[in-house]
Amino acid sequence: MGVYIGKRVLAIIPILLFSSLLMFVMIRVGPVDPAEAYLAAAHIQPDDEVLAAKRHEFGLDQPLLAQYVQSVGRLLRLDFGHSYLSNMPVWGEVAQKLPATLQLASASIVLALVVSIPLGVLAAIYKNRLVDHVIRVFAYIGACVPVFWIGYLLMFFISVKLEWLPVEGRGSVQHLILPSITLALWLIAIYARLLRTTVLEELKEAYVRYARARGIKERVILYKYVLRIAIAPLITGLGINLGKLLTGAIIVEQVFSWPGFGRYFIEAVINRDIPVIQCYVMLSVCVIAGSNLIADLLQLFLDPRIARKGRASQG
Amino acid sequence: MFASKGKRLLQGLLVLLVISMVAAGCSSNNTDKPSAAGDAQATKTLTMAWPRDIGPMNPHLYNPSQLLAQSMIYEPLVSYQDGKIVPALAESWTLSQDGKVYTFKIRSNVKFSDGTAFTAQLVKKNMDAVLHNKKLHTWLGMIPLIEKTEAVDDTTFRLTLTESYYPALYDLAVVRPVRFLGEAGFPEDGDTSKGIRSPIGTGPWVLSEYKKDESATFTPNPYYWGEKPKVDKVVVKVIPDAETRVLSFEKGDLDLIYGEGLISYDAYKGLESTGKYVTKLSEPIATRNLVLNTMNAKLADLKVRQALSMGFNKEAMVEGVTLGLEEKADNILPPNLPYANIKVSPVKYDVEQANALLDEAGWKLPSGGGVREKDGQKLELELMYDKADQTMKGMAETLQAEWAGIGVNLRITGVELTVYIQRRKANEFDMNFYSTFGAPYDPHSFMTAVVQPGYGVSDTLAALPMKAEIDKKIKAGMATTDDKARTELFGSVLTTLQEQSSILPISYIKQMAVYRDNVTEFKFPSNRDEYPLHGTKKK
Repeated sequence: MGVYIGKRVLAIIPILLFSSLLMFVMIRVGPVDPAEAYLAAAHIQPDDEVLAAKRHEFGLDQPLLAQYVQSVGRLLRLDFGHSYLSNMPVWGEVAQKLPATLQLASASIVLALVVSIPLGVLAAIYKNRLVDHVIRVFAYIGACVPVFWIGYLLMFFISVKLEWLPVEGRGSVQHLILPSITLALWLIAIYARLLRTTVLEELKEAYVRYARARGIKERVILYKYVLRIAIAPLITGLGINLGKLLTGAIIVEQVFSWPGFGRYFIEAVINRDIPVIQCYVMLSVCVIAGSNLIADLLQLFLDPRIARKGRASQG
Repeated sequence: MFASKGKRLLQGLLVLLVISMVAAGCSSNNTDKPSAAGDAQATKTLTMAWPRDIGPMNPHLYNPSQLLAQSMIYEPLVSYQDGKIVPALAESWTLSQDGKVYTFKIRSNVKFSDGTAFTAQLVKKNMDAVLHNKKLHTWLGMIPLIEKTEAVDDTTFRLTLTESYYPALYDLAVVRPVRFLGEAGFPEDGDTSKGIRSPIGTGPWVLSEYKKDESATFTPNPYYWGEKPKVDKVVVKVIPDAETRVLSFEKGDLDLIYGEGLISYDAYKGLESTGKYVTKLSEPIATRNLVLNTMNAKLADLKVRQALSMGFNKEAMVEGVTLGLEEKADNILPPNLPYANIKVSPVKYDVEQANALLDEAGWKLPSGGGVREKDGQKLELELMYDKADQTMKGMAETLQAEWAGIGVNLRITGVELTVYIQRRKANEFDMNFYSTFGAPYDPHSFMTAVVQPGYGVSDTLAALPMKAEIDKKIKAGMATTDDKARTELFGSVLTTLQEQSSILPISYIKQMAVYRDNVTEFKFPSNRDEYPLHGTKKK
């Protein structure tokens, strides 16, 4: 199992290298010159002399290969450079904004799990009855409607009309409710449907019939056996969906004025703040690769056959 | 079989839902209300929104420091008011005969927000800090011309230029980079281009509370020399999304929405239609023009340019695309700007005349074809616009449809802003949109753009037979100290440009304000970049 884990961790390195190369090439072949972007972000008329000085400062006058090696070297030291806009170290600014995003993301995950598990189970129990239909329609809508639109709807009804919660901002638990519901909604929709299917499948399994024959109570069968197995795909799903959660957070943070990393990224895109964009992309790659790895390891823990297969293939 | 279990689960969920709703309802009572209404009544707080954090508030730098905060904290030597330059931190000034030496008498009762005195020495220190970073500020015409700065005594500051340059006072009235930081705000080495220690200014407001990326609270500067602000607090909330700003205003969390492009035209109309709020449009602040590049052989012909000018219904287009929030423009510069009030005979929408002009120019409609041709070439042109700008997009689409009616094939190309700037700088376009700068930058900034290449205007006018003469007149107008002569020179330049139809005025851009009826005395500022919170009251 140790070898398997080691191999999986090492596999992240080429992914990161490839992403950094892709990003490097995209920035260089794009129509925007980073030096010019810097001056535009600072609202400076791009005078040729200033432009040349900036190109030199950014190392853009060096051969491409040297530039790439340097940029990888910096990434390895977690040095993302200085923001074009604020002239502050990107990593420092990210570290300031990350807690808000983590708070929002974790609240959404918790909310998604707390709501989707009962919904999925209820839908399975009441299969093809009204409760099931309602939950399925809700899940369908939740998965289809754009995140920002849901955000505006919640704001309009809950905050403006009913005046129950604040429209935007951060600070109290009340501020967290609407953005985390908005972000969690599509996760709830996906998980409720996933859980409904897996619970229904598990209920058909022989061990359920056997348990019933042994006279074990339905409640015990459901919670002790069925749910434990049915929840496993949810955990894997969470690993895969974490990347999507990050992109969702960009929109939610923008809509609800949530001062997190996603909003920082949007501003960077508007201002062509390339060091910030680079940092965001690399961190996202790390989060996605890392969460997939963790999900796989959890799977491994839940289903040891995977590890055995891994050993067998090594001979 | 699981029915009873399910019912209990359902019940549990409902209970949870009710509890959370009650909790939310109760707590919102004590957290939300005070923001704009309740508590604000006692302390008179004016709450507004801004799309970005106010930034480091460095008076000598640009983004991310926001004009809003800079104009509240720092003051200029002179101000721009209704087309005129009026005293601010300088109570008077004199100009030498040759137009090169400005001597300012500094107001003696001015203090910074930390209680220290504002002196001529500090004017020099600030000016020198700006000049230390000269390259960054060359866009402001006066900066490269500064030869010497002197503090003659505590209340006399002298500025010497290398040549006579009339807009120097207008340049001193802009929000950045020539405003004044207190001694304690300077970093140790005095180089403000790397940052400031703290935002200490002489302006009516001081920053009293600040949550980066969330909000900034300004309170009156206790040492302010002028009339005190009429409210006790201004809270600027950072709300990046335009729709959220509108919802927040509707909920009552904001008293005022003011600032360019802060809400969409649709949202403005929507708020206006409720009848619950005050909605206001300013006087024209700038003109949205269409630039026809005379370096394109087809557009070099005056008749073609005139035909295009009269070949579309400007009034209907402006009304339709901007919902009437911009106004049809006949002048290249809004006539309410200095030296820009010239008589212009408006170009009338006349499709017949446009067709006749194109025929005369040799562009004929082939039988059965929709696009005019001349010497085997089709009358095809490209209009470039910033694809993020919905107004430009709407106008480009309208022009495409309108000109198709007179046999012109217009290709419209939406590009990224940086590409737009690059192509404009390189003069690689047939047509594009060009908005003038507004006060206190115009008319001299526009005149500079007509003379100097790189701003997307001068190069496009290069094929005009009288371009050299236009340039000569502008240079003379910039240098003369005779106001009457300048009025004539600039008037003549503007008239020629209008007649040449290479720059087609489309609409006057206006500022929008929406506020609650408890806000009074709101006035649009004359300076496009200032924020009018000083005289604003709240009931």
